[in-house]
Amino acid sequence: MSAIAAKPGAAAGAFQPVASLIAIFFAIIFIGTAYWLLGSFGCLAVEALIGIIIGAALIAFGVHFVPVGGAPAAMGQSPGIATGVAMLATGAGLAGLFGGAWAAHIGLWVALAGGAIGGGLMMAITCLMVNISYVYGMGIPAASGKVEKDPITGDSQPEYKSQGTEGHGLPFISYVGGVFGGLLGGLGGTLIYIELLNFYNVILLPTSEGTNALAVGLAGIFAIGMFLVIAVLSAYNITGTIEGPHDPKFKRFPRAIVAAICASGICGLVALLVVAIF
Amino acid sequence: MSVKVEVSHDGVPHNTVMMKNGILALFFLYIAIAAASVAGDGSWSYPAIACVSGGIAAVFTLRWGNSTIKKLCSYGIGTGVPSAGMLAFGSGVIAMLFATKVNPFLVPIAGLLVALIVGLILGWISNSVLNMKIPVMTRSIAELAAVGCLTLMGLTAVATGDIGYDQITTGLTDPYASYISAGIIAVAFILGAIALQHPFNACLGPGEKQDRTDLLAIECGFLSMIVMAVISFAFVSQIAAWISFVIALIGWFVTYRQFFALSKRDAAAWLDAKPFSDAEE
Repeated sequence: MSAIAAKPGAAAGAFQPVASLIAIFFAIIFIGTAYWLLGSFGCLAVEALIGIIIGAALIAFGVHFVPVGGAPAAMGQSPGIATGVAMLATGAGLAGLFGGAWAAHIGLWVALAGGAIGGGLMMAITCLMVNISYVYGMGIPAASGKVEKDPITGDSQPEYKSQGTEGHGLPFISYVGGVFGGLLGGLGGTLIYIELLNFYNVILLPTSEGTNALAVGLAGIFAIGMFLVIAVLSAYNITGTIEGPHDPKFKRFPRAIVAAICASGICGLVALLVVAIF
Repeated sequence: MSVKVEVSHDGVPHNTVMMKNGILALFFLYIAIAAASVAGDGSWSYPAIACVSGGIAAVFTLRWGNSTIKKLCSYGIGTGVPSAGMLAFGSGVIAMLFATKVNPFLVPIAGLLVALIVGLILGWISNSVLNMKIPVMTRSIAELAAVGCLTLMGLTAVATGDIGYDQITTGLTDPYASYISAGIIAVAFILGAIALQHPFNACLGPGEKQDRTDLLAIECGFLSMIVMAVISFAFVSQIAAWISFVIALIGWFVTYRQFFALSKRDAAAWLDAKPFSDAEE
């Protein structure tokens, strides 16, 4: 098959029921394997793995809200932030992780709130600066090319859209989507980190300060690795660019969530086995 | 003006590149492990061999990964080349840390196997569940996971002189300031990911030549090795760290000069801009 023939066609947005069922089945097998392999820590491992899977599903859902423009956005030819999902999700996810990790010893809910606010704040600042550089730097107004009216404010869009473009800048709905996506991404990343940290702390035995330095290092690098895997798989789902929650591509999110459940199942299983086996 | 083309587009087939560089990378990783296992306290010669062979293994693995990325991204996956590098290292770091727990002489093979299994599942997900329908997707993502795993092993060997779990979880002076708990593995992660995704991202286009992209991959590998060699001053003896640092610096300088020459060869025209003083005359 040539490269051109293999380009995703009209059916690219279709949900794959059979493959999705197999993926969910795989995820259940991974959870069962964790219970079986980890013996006396089985229940703890299943709890941690389910937390990781929920976190991954949140990340996959969150990526679909973030207005990713890619290269066309850098030239002002399509709406969104002018970079790829890998960079944006890494930024929001790591900001969320830093926000959540400092509060890990205070409690689960404080840490999760810190992570969500960290990710959302990072995206809010990014979206604001993107719009400032678009409006005052490039001299273009914010206009969506996918909808006639902004779903939140009701502002009319086509009058502000330049001919030959798909829209430009960040309309209000994309801004809100970006902040919400950052919130979900930070929340999911922190949830993965906390679940891994709690599990490693039990196995590696905490020191007098309450957490084991090795557990922090391992949980941190695994959370980053898993976050990147889930974010890139979700980016494949939207084929690189999306305008925000009003984009027709947003309807593809169930596929990404199924993919995230299966991918985080295998990655989380291996990550749990690192400390608990041999 | 004729352009001299020494190697045509995709001159060497991907499978040849993969086998050659994969086997060489494993060979150098085993040299590193063997040198680390016979190194005694206070000696510098064996740690130096371990550091340098780890770096060379990372360079060979990056050549393999560069070829894989070229094959995958020629299909236009829509998310840009960097995402493939991030995916490779995200799955590679998990496989690499899992593999360090086994017997030292099984670490590279175990890492390769675990990475291939994780990568195959991720590749199947992106091809079937996410409906990418790219023929080389499953195989490429499995290969990329293996590349991420082996590159991290090589860079780890440069920094710590060993790739065993005990060595990377205990520090030389402070037991808590180890390779993992001090977060140095995150530096290796990003250094490797950038070295993996940059060459094809920088050279892609109609005038892309295999030898030039390949040389850029080697250059990026040595550049990453320089940083890891600087970090290695905290973990191995000073002389060993200096040796790997100087070798990385020489390797980077030589490959950078060669890459510069190849860029001149492939350029349509080359203008050596003069300083302002000439314009005044």
